[in-house]
Amino acid sequence: MLFKLAYKNLEGAGLRTWLTVGVLSFAFVIIILINGIVNGFNDQAINDAVNWEIGNGKLQNEKYDAYDPFSIKDGHGILPDSKNKDLVPVLIRQASIYPQGRMVSVTLNGIDINQKLLKLPTILLQQSTEEIPAIIGKRMAASANLKKGDQVLMRWRDSHGTFDAANISVAGIFNTNVTTVDAGQIWISLKKLRAMTDLDKSTTLFIAEKDYKQERVAGWKFLDQDELLKDLRAMVQIERISDSIIYLLLLAIALLAIFDTQVLSVFRRQREIGTYISLGMTRPQVVGLFTIEGSMNSILAIIVGGIYGIPLFLYLSYYGIAIPAGADNMGLSMGEKITPVFGAGLVLGTISLVVISSTIVSFLPSRKIAKMNPVDALKGKIQ
Amino acid sequence: MNSEIIISLEHVTKRYKVGDGDFTALSDINLQFKKGEFAGLVGPSGSGKTTLLNIIGSLDSPTEGKAIVMGKNISALSHKESAMLRNYHIGFIFQVYNLMPVYTVFENVEFSLILQNKSAAERKKAVMESLDWVGIADMANKKPSKLSGGEGQRVAIARAMVKRPDILLADEPTANLDAKNAHAILQTMKALNKELNTTFLFSTHDEKVMGYLDRMIHLEDGKIREDEIIPHKLSV
Ligand SMILES: Nc1ncnc2c1ncn2[C@@H]1O[C@H](COP(=O)(O)OP(=O)(O)O)[C@@H](O)[C@H]1O
Ligand SMILES: [Mg+2]
Repeated sequence: MLFKLAYKNLEGAGLRTWLTVGVLSFAFVIIILINGIVNGFNDQAINDAVNWEIGNGKLQNEKYDAYDPFSIKDGHGILPDSKNKDLVPVLIRQASIYPQGRMVSVTLNGIDINQKLLKLPTILLQQSTEEIPAIIGKRMAASANLKKGDQVLMRWRDSHGTFDAANISVAGIFNTNVTTVDAGQIWISLKKLRAMTDLDKSTTLFIAEKDYKQERVAGWKFLDQDELLKDLRAMVQIERISDSIIYLLLLAIALLAIFDTQVLSVFRRQREIGTYISLGMTRPQVVGLFTIEGSMNSILAIIVGGIYGIPLFLYLSYYGIAIPAGADNMGLSMGEKITPVFGAGLVLGTISLVVISSTIVSFLPSRKIAKMNPVDALKGKIQ
Repeated sequence: MNSEIIISLEHVTKRYKVGDGDFTALSDINLQFKKGEFAGLVGPSGSGKTTLLNIIGSLDSPTEGKAIVMGKNISALSHKESAMLRNYHIGFIFQVYNLMPVYTVFENVEFSLILQNKSAAERKKAVMESLDWVGIADMANKKPSKLSGGEGQRVAIARAMVKRPDILLADEPTANLDAKNAHAILQTMKALNKELNTTFLFSTHDEKVMGYLDRMIHLEDGKIREDEIIPHKLSV
């Protein structure tokens, strides 16, 4: 019955209630929206990373460290043939290219051109008739000013440290959100790279296929997906935190409005409070009534937010959100379109956040009622 | 009428802290009220009438002395017990009617019964009956803001009477009413007093009210100056 009374009181407050409810519902929808987008981005980024770079994990030569370019030189080895089932071999070397006379350091990746695991279009390497066909990503193409069909001089060292140079031809430019296979990366045939560097049979790392059975091999270490996605997840987490500032501010405004209304109510409705007590309500009951009244703002906000939020969420999760071109420099690279993911956890979590926080800000000012002298309250004498 | 004593005040004194000193609002009040009395505290403004009613209604407690209402010592009650006492046994009527503006007349009257956890059917029956007593059953769905002063005070009476309290405390109930409405309301209360044997205790300095009282306790500066029983009324 307190709920019914509380609702009547809120309804009686009219415009003020609806303003508070409006802001609160907006905060509610924005929280879900932003988190949904970040979730969608997270899923998409992980998917892309899996599809373009890490597959089902990597078996790396122990001397190779992806974070240390100096480890490239010696970070390779020969894996016994018996152990390389369901693995896509990649040999990594350092090289320089000279587009328009500029020197650009690159990482040269030799990959099995028959692989079907990664989305890298290695088929173009198969089809090309050039001497050293290469595929590069759009970022690499842009920074080195290369187009499909262009030739560029490349210099590298072979296994004995001797420099060698030749022209490579751009057989194709791929478009990916995964910068680690794009920026500063050149992909050529593994067979060719092994020949060019005199590193027959050597491999830096293997990318695991779905059926790969992990086993210990001396000199090699296996990094699973979780391990490889650690950095990405950490980045998404940072993004989540910085985004939360926006909506927590919005939520704070709405909560402040509730708090303010409550402080005012407790002061202005003293006679009413005194009357409730004279009618036989206990003070905790009156505190409860006022608290419910305040937190009911959040219930209304969720209903109102649902009315315009649900169609919006459904639309967005069906059609996705187009990301403006050039949004790449937002720290994280994004696709052209993100499909937000609104999980039950997100929605329920947000509902709890909004309801609990508004209950707290409703309760704090109402506590004052418990200390009120009903006689003074009836006279409206409490400051 | 039986002579059961339902209010007993023994040496009731109420002092308020004012600045550094004390102000004595009530001083050594000794009074008893029997069930079914129609009595009034009369006296000028500031004589302590409201303070005494509030103590009897357990909204306030005496600084010294004992106030025993329905056999319970007011000062010894917990918040919950005194809320129960008010909820079941005591009705209040205020000078300003103190109706809840957002509730309808019906809901205002219904309120105490909701607190008593009465069923919807019981509530409806009791509310309509008490609106009938005060003659405004047709206004059940109006909001208090749509009522005249006389109608507002009738709602307040209905709200106080709906739970059939043992004691009805009315603090200057006619102060905001014109003569016609004041008389109508007093007649209604007198009728309820007879019909339900509810003890009515007024605070007033209105001559019209005094005309209806069976007993007048004259207060002055927090002291009883005279406890007057109006003889011709006793025969009623
Ligand atoms: N909370 C209070 N603090 C100090 N003085 C008070 C307080 N409440 C009432 N009084 C004083 O007590 C006296 C009696 O007040 P009250 O019972 O309201 O008188 P009445 O109802 O007869 O007009 C008045 O002089 C009033 O100023
Ligand atoms: Mg008074």
